[in-house]
Amino acid sequence: MKLTGASTTLFRYPAPGRSSSRAGSLLELTTDEGMTGIAIGDADLRAPIAALFQDFLKGEDPRAAPGLWHRMQEAHPRAGRARAAIALIDVALWDLKARMNNEPLWKTLGGSRLAVNACASRADATPGARDAGAWFEDTKHRLGFRSGMLRSTGRRIDGHRLEQVRDALANGAGEPELGVDTGGTLAAAEVIRRVRTLEKRFDIAWIALGPPHASARGLRQVSDSVRAAACAGRGLCFPRDFHRHFQQRSIDLVQVDLRVNGITGALQLAEAAYGYELPVMLCAAPGNIHVHLAGAMPYVMNAEITEPAPPALYRTGVRIEDGRARPGKTPGTGITVDRAALARATVDRLSPRGKTARPRRKK
Amino acid sequence: MKITGFRIEQYLMRMDRAIADCNLPGGVNLLPGAILFLETDENITGIALSAGAGMDSLFRFIEGADPREVCGLWVKMNDSLHKIGNRGITSFGLSAFDMALWDLKAKLEDAPLWRTLGAREGRVRAYASGLDYCLSDDELFAFYRRLAEQGVTAGKLKVGLDLEADMRRLGIMREALSVASKKPGLMIDANEYWSAKQAVRWISRMEQQYDLIWAEEPARRWDYHGLRQVSRQVKAGVATGENLHSVDDFYPLLANGATDVINVWTGHSGVTGCRQVANLALAHGVPVSMMNAQANYMAHVAAALPNHWMMEVVDPGREHCLRYDNRIEDGFIVLGNSPGWGVDVDLKKLKALQDNPPQGKGEFPFPRREGAGRYIVPPKPGEVPWRSGR
Repeated sequence: MKLTGASTTLFRYPAPGRSSSRAGSLLELTTDEGMTGIAIGDADLRAPIAALFQDFLKGEDPRAAPGLWHRMQEAHPRAGRARAAIALIDVALWDLKARMNNEPLWKTLGGSRLAVNACASRADATPGARDAGAWFEDTKHRLGFRSGMLRSTGRRIDGHRLEQVRDALANGAGEPELGVDTGGTLAAAEVIRRVRTLEKRFDIAWIALGPPHASARGLRQVSDSVRAAACAGRGLCFPRDFHRHFQQRSIDLVQVDLRVNGITGALQLAEAAYGYELPVMLCAAPGNIHVHLAGAMPYVMNAEITEPAPPALYRTGVRIEDGRARPGKTPGTGITVDRAALARATVDRLSPRGKTARPRRKK
Repeated sequence: MKITGFRIEQYLMRMDRAIADCNLPGGVNLLPGAILFLETDENITGIALSAGAGMDSLFRFIEGADPREVCGLWVKMNDSLHKIGNRGITSFGLSAFDMALWDLKAKLEDAPLWRTLGAREGRVRAYASGLDYCLSDDELFAFYRRLAEQGVTAGKLKVGLDLEADMRRLGIMREALSVASKKPGLMIDANEYWSAKQAVRWISRMEQQYDLIWAEEPARRWDYHGLRQVSRQVKAGVATGENLHSVDDFYPLLANGATDVINVWTGHSGVTGCRQVANLALAHGVPVSMMNAQANYMAHVAAALPNHWMMEVVDPGREHCLRYDNRIEDGFIVLGNSPGWGVDVDLKKLKALQDNPPQGKGEFPFPRREGAGRYIVPPKPGEVPWRSGR
């Protein structure tokens, strides 16, 4: 069996509860035996995907996802469009392999069908969003979430919003678990100052920093200065971005980001983290496919969920119930695309800032 | 598809030649062998070429399970060993089950295990390792020359009790390998006989004449301080790890920069555990080297590890009741496409070995030799064929 083609379809869809629309891409890898592997991404990666296909994938056996990953990631060890393309290709290859085996992805990866703790995660200033509290309360009522993460989009951690999250997720059974992801907006010293103040009112389980501030030294400083676990990994590429963190043991909770590590890199990172029982959080991936990986990883704490239900364009088979997410039993990542809806949502390009280009019918 | 049962077949194998290291210079030619057969409800059996203790107890966690869920089952078995620890002969039991489960997973995909593990090629660079402490100088030359003729360009010599002999035999090994390479790779292995400081002095003197790639087990398996000291004070890298059992054993070594290469093998909690160790090493920028295995079967795992350097080939002739689908070619172990490990057990030959156990010499595993870490106890007269004039 050989890989014969890679095609990408861009689409826009209205996001539930938002006035603007969201963008995405569907990658399809085809083989000479008629099987297809798919992956959903969130950016226009057509150019790097085409280049990578020519250089690394054309004619190759699709069962060698890890082997192909290792070659491609050596050429692109750091974050960027090429790296994101490799990650997306890796997801599609694993989807393909699982479909070839007629297994759900979690089984192909060697996991049990584990129900993983789900953490509701939302940006604090989602444009056009309802009040953050209402969204979290909704996840608690319908899906039983007991854990919530607030993602900062500005250079501050909003204590008022954090309180809304905590109150929304509270129930008789106990305090919810709270996390804050500052992304790349705050440096270590600012994080420490702000979190120490917040920790007078809140029990914060983790505080995440992102590039460019997620340095080993900075995270150690945070870890040593606040009660919360110092968390990082979103946007970080395994292994290159993690050498210093492992050497200095600067991360208390590692985020495994499929967007830059695919599935192969994600599994590797999780196994490396197990070397000193470093807990793992799986970052949200389109279609919640990251949930498939939990059972194959030895030390997962939780999986981030930003979209409990996917857009109407595709189904995932991932179910969330009682605050836990479980992958489905259909082959591959379990994503089935509504082709008619996709055709209606297809666009020729995603504009640079991700703002709306009205969906046009594909000619 | 469910796991329904298991059985272990034990036997003694008399190897085609004896093997030795400085802990037992006289060597052994008789090794205990074990084969695990892991049975399913669909007439497919997974095998592993090892066994351990407490396997009845561990089996409870995989009985009735789908073997394809191997990583989840590893966690279950490992968690069950929480108090007693995933160590020693109990760990070997976990390893054996894990290896048999992966064999099943690959057989169910109708693929060789290297492909199931995702390698692009079923091909692993080899180095020759005589386990040669009991071989005469001529036998030493013949072993390394034979492998050099198959393209192998690096070799690892057993050392430890006699510097003059070690130096002479390094030269013999180099000469033997020279038909494959103008500058063969040279490694030494002291099997923890030296203290760290003895290692520094000994290796430094060797390095006046030879350029060594790595010195294996130059200090104790747990001694991250000593191992790092050796690594810093000699030119060669340090390799270690064979006597550890699971990834958490490696954490202190890697966290302290104690080793330049990690030796991995089946004893590291199976395929799953081996991969964990390799990925931890990858996170620290350290390469791994797969240790020798009956029928070279662990080459399947090595082929899929991105930071794998070269695999040890001892080839003492210990596959009399096995058929296997790999060969050495151009200095590489080349794996075939037979499903799973690509190893078949010849049940008739196995039974013959069990009914008529072979005779032989030596004690395996080698006990630690007197004097280790403090003073050298040289081989007794006649214990080895390579001591001259004594």
